[in-house]
Amino acid sequence: MKTFSIGGRCIAAPPPLDWREQLAQMLGFKPRRIGTWAELGLYGALRCMTDAGDRRLSPDAQIWLGSQRGTYVATDIVLAQIRDGLPMPLAFLQTQPSQLLALLAAQIAWKGHACFVPGGQPHDLLRLASAQVGASGLLLGMVDEMDGGTTNWLRLYPCAPEKEEFVHNSSEEMFLSGVSYLRVDVTGLQGRRAIQGKTE
Amino acid sequence: MKPVYLAGRGLACALGLDTYASLIALRQGGVATSSRALPGELGGSFPYYVIPYAQDSWNGRACNLVRRVAIEAGAEKIRSGALFISTSSFDIGANEPGATNRNYREFSDELVDWLEWTGSVYMVNTACTSSLNALMAAHALLAAGDEEEALVLGMELDNQMTLAGFAALQLLSHNSSKPFGAHRDGLVLGEAVSAMRLSTVESSHWKMLGGANVVDGSQPTGSSASAVVTMYQRALAASGLAVDAIDLIKVQAAGSPSNDRVEAEGLREAFGNVPPLVSFKAVMGHTMGASGVAELALLTACLEQGVWPICANEIDEILGVDLAVYQPETVHHFMATILGFGGSHASVAFERA
Repeated sequence: MKTFSIGGRCIAAPPPLDWREQLAQMLGFKPRRIGTWAELGLYGALRCMTDAGDRRLSPDAQIWLGSQRGTYVATDIVLAQIRDGLPMPLAFLQTQPSQLLALLAAQIAWKGHACFVPGGQPHDLLRLASAQVGASGLLLGMVDEMDGGTTNWLRLYPCAPEKEEFVHNSSEEMFLSGVSYLRVDVTGLQGRRAIQGKTE
Repeated sequence: MKPVYLAGRGLACALGLDTYASLIALRQGGVATSSRALPGELGGSFPYYVIPYAQDSWNGRACNLVRRVAIEAGAEKIRSGALFISTSSFDIGANEPGATNRNYREFSDELVDWLEWTGSVYMVNTACTSSLNALMAAHALLAAGDEEEALVLGMELDNQMTLAGFAALQLLSHNSSKPFGAHRDGLVLGEAVSAMRLSTVESSHWKMLGGANVVDGSQPTGSSASAVVTMYQRALAASGLAVDAIDLIKVQAAGSPSNDRVEAEGLREAFGNVPPLVSFKAVMGHTMGASGVAELALLTACLEQGVWPICANEIDEILGVDLAVYQPETVHHFMATILGFGGSHASVAFERA
């Protein structure tokens, strides 16, 4: 069982009203024709990296992305388009969730392992990532477009197993600001809070 | 790390409804394509590889095909293991032309019901590399001892959206798939449902050693040669193999004018002396998210039974690579590669046990 420390986070459920302006500022340009779901994902991932103090990801780091409904809005648009003919090429690309991984990789000039786990809970992603990730850790995100949008991300680094006791957490609790360490196994997710170097 | 074996496989594709039927069809020279008509200026008639299994209901057909390949792979032995579902189009074919007002979990719950699965369930979607990434995730869980057995299911069934999307991007051939062909002019898509059963407790002919997936965002709809090189280097390192240990590579080679060129460039740079290559795109089509496990199922069966696909098209000499006309005499280690949308490049390595 691997233990991870949380080195950065973006909790935005929903994101602030000016999130699109903030995204444009981080990108250096206003994103065009990539779809709201991908924009939300980019916003959260870049915010999280900033919070972690990462300008770049190591090639050995990984990106794990989850969503309950993913690109369903873009998919509905394309289904409407194909009733009358072929869809617009960029509209079709927006239906592919892996485009967000490509966009993020391009933005941070990174080449590495990235994976989309549709319908997965955050602890599912962490369990799969734990088995594959190396010393450079991972960027883990959950992005959805419903209810004003959600883009929650954690920058996780593997660390030495903590001696202090972990308590079972729900997937939602993974993103709570007080949680500083996480680990996961077949029995579920465990977290530990750390305040001023002490276990709470 | 525990050794992970390919303990069972199941395949339904245009060649046949199981692996044996597919081998027979392949030995006899393959099957003809069906066709799909798409409207509009960029539309027209496109060849398409259809699984020869008719049923009125999309969901009913999907259910029966999923159950067939799962049974063929021996899934009934491991229902408490890990299930990996990989697809790029989910059940979009069941919902066209209506809205897709549902979530991913409903789709996976449906498959869990069909398979009476009781263990953990994960879905993986990385476009065309979905099932290879699912295979790598399953391999990692098993090798780490977190699970003893896993079923990796790849599923890609008839739907208008994928065909129309590829047509809109002008990626499809109006004629045939010509892997590394001198006259290649695009992809031919196809259906496949396939399952691979991985196990750490049941040994078999093939041991999965590892693999690598490299996302390169510089080409969102295609591949880059540098990412192909990095993918092979990382996959070899993860598998503990040197370049000269590889006896055969199942390549992507879908017949795309640009991607085939990029793939060939990456192969030459990664290997120098490129090992024998094989492609199944001309016999079963590009089966998108299912292609990784579907082509692996067919490849391992071919290697065991001495069957080999006929390469009918003239190879493009400029590419500097060739497809093997005959099966190599000895295949101790092979790699299987899929390149796809989202700048995703994935390859896995297997060893004859």
